[in-house]
Amino acid sequence: MGVAPPNETARVASQDSVVITHEDVDRAHDRVRVSAARARKGAFSRVRLLWLLIGPGVLVMLGENDGPSMLSYAATGARFGIGFFIPFVVLTFCMAVVVQEMTVRLGSATHRGHAELIFDRFGPFWGWFSMIDLGIGNFLTLITEFIAIRAGLGFFGVPAWVAVLSALGLLYLALLTHRYWTWERITLAVAAFNLAFIPVALLTHPNWHSVSHALLSWKPAPPLSKDTLIIVLADIGATVTPWMLFFQQSATVDKGLTRQDIRFGRIDTVLGAALATIAALATILATTPLFGQPMGAENFQAAEFAQALRPLIGRVGASLFALGIVEAGMVASVTISTSSAYAFGEVAGRPHSLNLPMTEGRVFYSVLFMCAAAAGAIVLIPGLPLVYVVLLVNVVAVLAMPPALVFLYMLVNDREIMGDLVSPTWANILATTVVVLLTGAGVLFGISVIRPSILALLGGG
Amino acid sequence: MTREKHSIDPSEKALVLSSLEQDQLAGLKQHIPRRQLKGPEVVVLWSLRIYLLFMMAVVIYQVLSTSR
Repeated sequence: MGVAPPNETARVASQDSVVITHEDVDRAHDRVRVSAARARKGAFSRVRLLWLLIGPGVLVMLGENDGPSMLSYAATGARFGIGFFIPFVVLTFCMAVVVQEMTVRLGSATHRGHAELIFDRFGPFWGWFSMIDLGIGNFLTLITEFIAIRAGLGFFGVPAWVAVLSALGLLYLALLTHRYWTWERITLAVAAFNLAFIPVALLTHPNWHSVSHALLSWKPAPPLSKDTLIIVLADIGATVTPWMLFFQQSATVDKGLTRQDIRFGRIDTVLGAALATIAALATILATTPLFGQPMGAENFQAAEFAQALRPLIGRVGASLFALGIVEAGMVASVTISTSSAYAFGEVAGRPHSLNLPMTEGRVFYSVLFMCAAAAGAIVLIPGLPLVYVVLLVNVVAVLAMPPALVFLYMLVNDREIMGDLVSPTWANILATTVVVLLTGAGVLFGISVIRPSILALLGGG
Repeated sequence: MTREKHSIDPSEKALVLSSLEQDQLAGLKQHIPRRQLKGPEVVVLWSLRIYLLFMMAVVIYQVLSTSR
């Protein structure tokens, strides 16, 4: 399926049946700025073009450095210190780049969201399976984002209900812009606080020799045990999850990226992955001084990592850590609820764009806000055993990823919709490797739960 | 005559038509034809579906056994 150039559009659009919406007008204004920057020569124009075109990739990667992810990294540092997991986290972000790059190509080539393509190409039977996976995963993850916000602000003495209402208020304010570009820039500005974990790590004075040794040797390696496997799965789930596929493809479409912009879409994705890797590694390094202390994911609800770090890095460092957790939950709650709303709109055939005015996008904005509000409300119910959600949400994400990746793989190799943008062989080999690794990790986790003795035979405890 | 929602300015209409590709216009998007899945593709999709259901049961078992 080819994509018509603008002059072709003009011909088609002159027909009676064309509807022009505010969504189109806003997107056209964005495209005019991109075209103007592209037409100019010089380094400054290149930088401006990059500035105009980055967004979905950085947002999806920093968005995935969310509450449960930062918890996983914090638990990794506290439980295993500097070693195997340092290069392992770098590897997981490389996997994320391989996967997310495909969504850039799909969105730019087809101008359609991921859910829409799955429904159109494979039919509602498989489409609903995919949507159920996404819906359950997104809602569970959203709950953990509000737990993170509550925990982070709780460090400063903010009551839980104030924390949740503040987060919902901020999310609502960003939506009031009714403009993708403005929403994206506001969310990017908030996402920049993900890098707050870097000064926290520096305050712990990491042993850089150990870090470089671990990066090169993958040692010391942890024992193969159920605890290790949960951390392995949680760290993988902290970088590759189904909502990321749906979000980046839909955001690429909403931003208006075309085939010409794919190179910048790739740069956007790699840049986002690099920033997210640095923040993730910083979190592991920040909690490494807690190595040997009985800290785990279950210590998350009361921001106990920040409290445990306070004697080591002082009030400022601990506050930065807590603020980083708040940011992680805030940005992810925005991006994940947006991915749910995009998918719902695509499947229901309702307008779905952050460029929509409220009158045209009432359903889209309602779904987006209600997803977040429902998750926030659940967090406020006293006595719910939310710790299990926090512990397992990333594991669930990893388990749901292989089916999602197979749909992505089939779509990105579909010559009828991709034309000459189908995946090259090397990209398919990498994507297949990712599917095999994720499935293998899931199977090992299953063995560790059902038959731990088999895991012991494999060399674990 | 082009139909518009909520009075789009004519100059902006021209801007839209000259800057967006056909498939980018919200009102012009059409469904992409469905493709027939091949046998091996159906096998892979069902295998992964069963894998996911089984693993979810494992996760629930894990949660229940931890909470006990």
